[in-house]
Amino acid sequence: MERAGIPTAVITNLVTIAEQVGAPRIVLGRGIPYPTGDPDLPPHAERAWRRRLVEQALVALATPVERPTVFEVGAQDVGAQHVGAQPEEATRA
Amino acid sequence: MPVPQRIVHEVNAVEFGEATRYRQRRLVVGSDEVAAAFADAALAAVRPHLASPAERVRIVKPLDVVEPRSRGPEGGTFPGWLAPINRSRGGQTHVLRGAAVLAAGYLPRNQEGLVDMSGPAADLSPFSRTHNIVVEFDPAEDASWADVDAAVRRGLLRLAVHLADAAVDAEPDAVEDLAQPHRAVDPTGGLPRVGAITNLQTQGAFKDVFVYGRSMAGSLPTLIDPAEVDDGAVVSGQYGHPALRNPTYVHQNHPVVAALRARDGDDLRFAGLVLCPEPVEQAGKELMSEHAAWLCRAAGFDAVIVTKEGAGNADNDLALKVDALEAAGVPAVPLYPELSGPDGTGPPLVAGPRRGSLVSTGNYDQRVSLPAVERALGGPRLDVADVEATAAVEVPVATILGALSPLGAGRFTCRSTPPQEEPVQEGAA
Amino acid sequence: MMRVVHYINQFYAGLGGEEAAGLSPRLLDGPAGPGRLLDQLLGDEHEVVATVVCGDNHAAGTAGVTEELLGMVREAGAELLLTGPAFGSGRYGMACARLAAAGTTAGLPSLAAMHPDNPGIGEAGTAPVIAAGASARKMRASLQRVAPALAKLAAGQALTEQDGRVGRSARLGRLVEHTAAQRAVELVLRRLAGEDADAVTEIPLGGFDSVEPAAPVEKVGAASVALLTEGALVPAGNPDRLESARATRWLRYSVDGLDTLADGDWESVDGGFATTAANADPNRLVPLDAARALQRDGAVGGLHDELLVTVGNGTSVVTARRFGVEWAARLRAAGVQAAILTAT
Repeated sequence: MERAGIPTAVITNLVTIAEQVGAPRIVLGRGIPYPTGDPDLPPHAERAWRRRLVEQALVALATPVERPTVFEVGAQDVGAQHVGAQPEEATRA
Repeated sequence: MPVPQRIVHEVNAVEFGEATRYRQRRLVVGSDEVAAAFADAALAAVRPHLASPAERVRIVKPLDVVEPRSRGPEGGTFPGWLAPINRSRGGQTHVLRGAAVLAAGYLPRNQEGLVDMSGPAADLSPFSRTHNIVVEFDPAEDASWADVDAAVRRGLLRLAVHLADAAVDAEPDAVEDLAQPHRAVDPTGGLPRVGAITNLQTQGAFKDVFVYGRSMAGSLPTLIDPAEVDDGAVVSGQYGHPALRNPTYVHQNHPVVAALRARDGDDLRFAGLVLCPEPVEQAGKELMSEHAAWLCRAAGFDAVIVTKEGAGNADNDLALKVDALEAAGVPAVPLYPELSGPDGTGPPLVAGPRRGSLVSTGNYDQRVSLPAVERALGGPRLDVADVEATAAVEVPVATILGALSPLGAGRFTCRSTPPQEEPVQEGAA
Repeated sequence: MMRVVHYINQFYAGLGGEEAAGLSPRLLDGPAGPGRLLDQLLGDEHEVVATVVCGDNHAAGTAGVTEELLGMVREAGAELLLTGPAFGSGRYGMACARLAAAGTTAGLPSLAAMHPDNPGIGEAGTAPVIAAGASARKMRASLQRVAPALAKLAAGQALTEQDGRVGRSARLGRLVEHTAAQRAVELVLRRLAGEDADAVTEIPLGGFDSVEPAAPVEKVGAASVALLTEGALVPAGNPDRLESARATRWLRYSVDGLDTLADGDWESVDGGFATTAANADPNRLVPLDAARALQRDGAVGGLHDELLVTVGNGTSVVTARRFGVEWAARLRAAGVQAAILTAT
C-alpha cells in the first residue's frame, strides 16, 4: 500500500513484527485479539480510547516518516511518537 | 601564505609540581595554576588528579576533553573563547601530544560514561592512551548549572593553553605541515577532490557544539578553514551518549581531515571541510542535507566523507545527506555506529541511506566486562550501573567515552558472522 | 545421554486450539505431541525428559514469560533445549525464538526450529535456528532435520547451513588496523574508481524489508480514508467462505450508511487468535464507530464505502504483498488517499 503511494496506518499490538516487515506508520493497538478495543474497560471508556486511537492513526497518516515509526496514544497527550530505537533524550546506556 | 604547522612536543610522563614546566617529554603541572585556570564565581573548588595509560584507574562522569595547544605568547588558540576571531591565522601551533585535560563530575543531562586507563575498555577509548589531567569540581552554592558548565569549559580551555605554553621554547619532536584545502581553480593532476562534512549535535544546553564560541544551532552548513578547527574553533559542550560524542580533543585532531591530509597529493586532493548542525526536526534535517549537498557541489567536491554525533536521531541526518549527495552524483561515505543489540543480531541502523558505502564504528550495545580498578576519579559511584566507581562491572560499549567515535578516531568496527559460523568474539570486547 | 527439554504451544500439546491461546506455562513429564516422534528420532542417544507448554497469546504478550519458561526448563534438569518447530506461525515462532535465545544466553545449548520466513526468527539472538517446513504437514521432515542437529549441538559442535541452519547473521565487534576515518578514505577511493556502492560497504544495507514510505496526507479533514483488516472480519455466517488461515484471496464488504459494526452482524473467522472479544464488539477489530464519529466531527473527510478484508494468519509474505498491490489499485481507482489497517 505504502509502496503504491497510499499512506497506511497499521494498528497492531505486534509492533516488532510490523517494524520488521517495514511498515512505515505503526499505531500501537491494545491486544492481539482486539487491536482497537479493550474488553477490560467500561464501554464508554473503551469507546473514548478507540476514538483517540483512530485520531492517532490520522496523525500518523498526516506525518512524514522515513522509517518504520511507532505512534502511541499517550496517557495524556495524543501525539506521542518515537522513531525506531530510542529518541535522543532516552538513556540507552 | 605559509602552510600551517603543528609543532609537536611529546608527553610521556605527567606529575604535579609548584610551577608548570615541560622538559624532555615530562610535563609538570603547577597545582596553583590549575586553580587559577578554573577561577570562576560558579565554581567553589576544583581538584586536579592525574590518570596515565596502563594505570588501574577509572574516570567516571567524564565531560569534555581538550588537547593542550598554544600559539605562543601572542595567543590565538580557541577563537571565540580565549582569542578574538580576527587574529592572524595559520602559522605555528604547539601541541602537547600524549596529554589531555578532562573534566569529570555531575552535570545535568550528562549521560554518564567512563574511561578505564587499563583493561579491555582501554582498547576502545582514545582517552585511555593519553596522560590525563582530570579536574573534579564543586559548583558554587548559588550557581546555575549553565554557569557551572560554562565555567568548567572555560577552565579546560585555559588550562589546555597554559600547559602547552610551557613547551613553546622546547625543541620539538616533530613538525607537521597541515595541508590546506585544494582550491577548486587549481589543477588537480588528475586526482579526485575529496572533502568532509562534519555534523555537529545541536540540541540545546548540555547537548550543544560551539563554533567560534557560538552554538551552531540555527546555522546553515558552512565551509570552514580546517586550520581554524586545529586551533580550537570547534569546542564541544555536548554530553549525550558517551561513546557517540566528539569531544573537543577529537575536533582538534579531526580524524577525517587527518586521513584526507595524509593522502593529499598521493591519491586525492583534500578539498575542504563543511560543518553542519543536526536540527531536531525532520524539515530542518532535510534543509541541512539539501544545502550541504549543494555546497559540496559548489565547492567542487568529487566525493565526501560524512560524519555525525549522537544516536538514532542523528542517523537520519547522515542518511538524508548521503541520499542528497548520491542523488547529486557525489559519492558519499558515512560513518555509522551500529545499534545491533547485545548479541549483534538486531537491525544495525535506525535510519540508513537508500544505498551507499558505509563505515562501521562498532556496536553500541555490545557488552564489555571491566575488571575492578584501584582508584576512581569523577565521583564515588558509577551511577549508570549502580555500583561503586572502582567495582568490576559489565557495561555496553555505549558507556565508554569515544569508543564508537562518530568522527572516525577509533579502530573498533563490526563484521557479520554468517549463521553457519560459530560466533566468536574477537578484538577487545 | 543428555536430557532434552522440549518447548511447544498449547495446540501441539493437545491442550486446545485458539480458545486455549491464553494458557499459562506448564511443565509436563516426558515427551508430548511432536516430542514423541522427536524422542524416537533421537534414539538411545538422548531423551526428551520433559515438555514445557504455553499458550500462544500468553507466550507472545506477557512480560517476563520467557524467564518463567526458562526457569521451568531448568527445573526439568535440561541439558539441551529444543523449541518448536513453529513452522510459519508468528506468535509461536516468536516464543520459540525468544526462549532459545534466552537459553543460549544463559549457557544452555538451545535450538529453535521454524520456517525461515517466520517473523519471529529475528528474535533468536545467537541461538541456532533450524529450518522447518511452512506447516505442520512437514512435521516429520522437519524433525528428521532437527534430531541430528540436536545431537550435533549436544556434542558441542557448531551447526552450519548443511545442518539446515538459517537466520540472521550476528554483527560482532572487533578491533582492526586502521581507524574508521582511514577506512572511509579507502571506501571513497574505491567508489571513485568505479566500484559499486553496495560492493564496498562495511554495513550491508540489504536484508531488511524496507518500504519506501508514502507521502503523508496533506489534509486529513478532506481526505477519503479506507478501513482494512487482516483479522478476517466477515458478515455473520461467512457467506464467501473466507479461509481462517493461509489466505489465497481477499474480500470487500459495504459499510456504506453504517455507523457501527453491530454485534451479531459480523464475525471474525481468523484461526490465529481468540475471536470472542472481537465478535462481541466487531469495532474492536475494525474501528468503524470511532471513524464515523471522527468523520462527523470533520476530523476525516470521508470513509471509503467498502471494508477490505483478508486473513493474515499464516499468509505468506508473497501473497500478502500481492493483496497489498491489489488493494492499492482498487483504492486508488476509488479516489481513496489513505488507509487504516488493523492487524492482529
